Amino acid sequence: METLAALGHGFSVALTPYNLLWSALGVTVGTAVGVLPGIGPALTVALLLPVTYNLEPTSAFIMFAGIYYGAMYGGSTTAILLNTPGESGSIVTAIDGHEMARQGRGAQALATAAIGSFVAGTIATVGLTFVAPLLVRLALLFGPAEYFALMVLALVTVTAVLGDSLPRGLASLLFGLALGLVGIDLQTGQARFTLGIPEMLDGIDTVVVAVGLFAIGETLYVAARHRFETEEIYAIKGSMWMSKEDWARSWKPWLRGTAFGFPIGALPAGGSEIPTFLSYLTEKKLTKHPEEFGHGAIEAVAGPEAANNAAAAGVLAPLLSLGLPTSATAAIMLAAFQQYGLQPGPLLFESNPELVWGMIASLYIGNVLLLVLNLPMAPVWVKLLKIPRPWLYGGILVFATLGAYTLNNNAVDLVILWIIGLIGFAMRVLDVPVAPCVVGLILGPLAEQQFRRALSISQGDPSVFFTHPISLAILVVAVLLVLVPIFLRRRRRHADLPAETPAESV
Amino acid sequence: MTTGRSLRVGEALLGGAVLALGLFVAAQTALLKVAPTHAAIGPRLFPFLIATGLIVVGALVLREALFGHVAHEQRGIELDWLAVALVSVGLVAQMLLLEWIGWIPATTLLFLAAARAFGSRRLALDALIGLVLASLAFVTFNYGLGLSLPIGTAIEQLMPAEGE
Repeated sequence: METLAALGHGFSVALTPYNLLWSALGVTVGTAVGVLPGIGPALTVALLLPVTYNLEPTSAFIMFAGIYYGAMYGGSTTAILLNTPGESGSIVTAIDGHEMARQGRGAQALATAAIGSFVAGTIATVGLTFVAPLLVRLALLFGPAEYFALMVLALVTVTAVLGDSLPRGLASLLFGLALGLVGIDLQTGQARFTLGIPEMLDGIDTVVVAVGLFAIGETLYVAARHRFETEEIYAIKGSMWMSKEDWARSWKPWLRGTAFGFPIGALPAGGSEIPTFLSYLTEKKLTKHPEEFGHGAIEAVAGPEAANNAAAAGVLAPLLSLGLPTSATAAIMLAAFQQYGLQPGPLLFESNPELVWGMIASLYIGNVLLLVLNLPMAPVWVKLLKIPRPWLYGGILVFATLGAYTLNNNAVDLVILWIIGLIGFAMRVLDVPVAPCVVGLILGPLAEQQFRRALSISQGDPSVFFTHPISLAILVVAVLLVLVPIFLRRRRRHADLPAETPAESV
Repeated sequence: MTTGRSLRVGEALLGGAVLALGLFVAAQTALLKVAPTHAAIGPRLFPFLIATGLIVVGALVLREALFGHVAHEQRGIELDWLAVALVSVGLVAQMLLLEWIGWIPATTLLFLAAARAFGSRRLALDALIGLVLASLAFVTFNYGLGLSLPIGTAIEQLMPAEGE
């Protein structure tokens, strides 16, 4: 009941015409930028940060919630029509979605993705409403040792579970952690790794790194590759509406996708990649048309896309209640909170209920706005896909540099942006995942603080992490998450060595 | 270009770079002067842990590249280095010129370089679009959203004694 009252209050904040305007603006620009090829949700949020600098926090985060959900919707459009998933969560959607577009059923693929996202997003937002306060209550039991263990768990999942090469994931994570060391040590006030450059005392900004890796790195990569690649866009033909059969084949996958997406996303070790794969496999097992999978089955768009959006809402639960980002996008949201001097966590619910609940309420509103925005306006978004590549990437660079410069009005950030961009380019070429670096950069300093706080409380005795039961349990899960996949892979390799097929063909 | 050899070189570069970063972090950490009271869990422990991790992972990747089979299933890829250089030139030019000639011309240059890197040959049209985009961003962010993109010290000198 307490929760409902809080949510009601949140709605009264979010529904004021002023905030409603920011929410509508957020979902619109979020979708528009998210649709652009080469721009995934993480980069969308990072690029749109400067737009919110002069808003007061509550309105800014209401707009952010809209941008976040809008970027997820926009990303699925790109995945379906261009087969270029902007983030790992829409890789699965792209497989059958793009096939549908190729067969002239792009409109239906977009429709089932949009309606599925609405259904999943709404159910998952309800879930978030009730889970977040529970997590807050749980978080009050946590001391520094438990927080440190949780952060280790999050870092481990982002690194080990998502990538297909553990050394590459680790290299990316450690690079991010090393970047996080730069600046003044929060506990002793000592400068570390600043190379004598005064602008580095404040540390390297997560936003600069994210924009550098995602926007500059990606632009350099596409520039280097575009002579060798061709892309096909399929126009949307015929009616936007789904047939009766499409509905019949979509509604169950929507619900099942939600059931996978939200709980896994809400775990402190979540993320959206695993639920989309689980949803795809489940739908393939349950469908009456298994032969269509991989060749444009509507279930294979409906389920994973619902899972993706439900997970996106789920990820907000650990972010808001524990301050724990489990995806690159969430890492940038956390950076946005820090820009306002706010630290998400149990205290934020106490000190800033208007902001937290206003933001959660605006997620409900954003979902409705997005459904309205996406179904009739899909052809408009498709036009955005046709922007000539030289202008699109020129524009991406303009806004990437704008975002980096306006952070501190400082050209040093542009130098860092360029260097990080070159590194991001090298990572793309060498197939090193980028997300662990971004999450490592923002979680590293927080983890170090908790680590040292735990050790000062225990007067330097490192056994605190293993004698506190919650901390021990979380660390055991983290270790299992690394070891079990390695073990499984090894067993599988022994079992079917001769029949080994090329890993992926995406 | 797409042979195992170029892949090995890439792997070796990755391993070498990670290893070098690890050694750098370790060296920098060792040079940190720390007040003795903080010795046990001071500001050096975490950097040392990260440095160790970097060195181990770097050495693993390097060993794989030099002696192992290339485990990673990926074909070597062709890259258009000229395009990469052009985009870089645009970015460097912008960061050097930004505060001197101002946001609008510096950013138009960046846009132009990027468009050229992506194979566009309509330079005049590209410049015009870049100019419009940079100006729109300037007006929106400086007057609408209260941020301050630089007008440029050179430009400010040209038009003295304006109201604001």
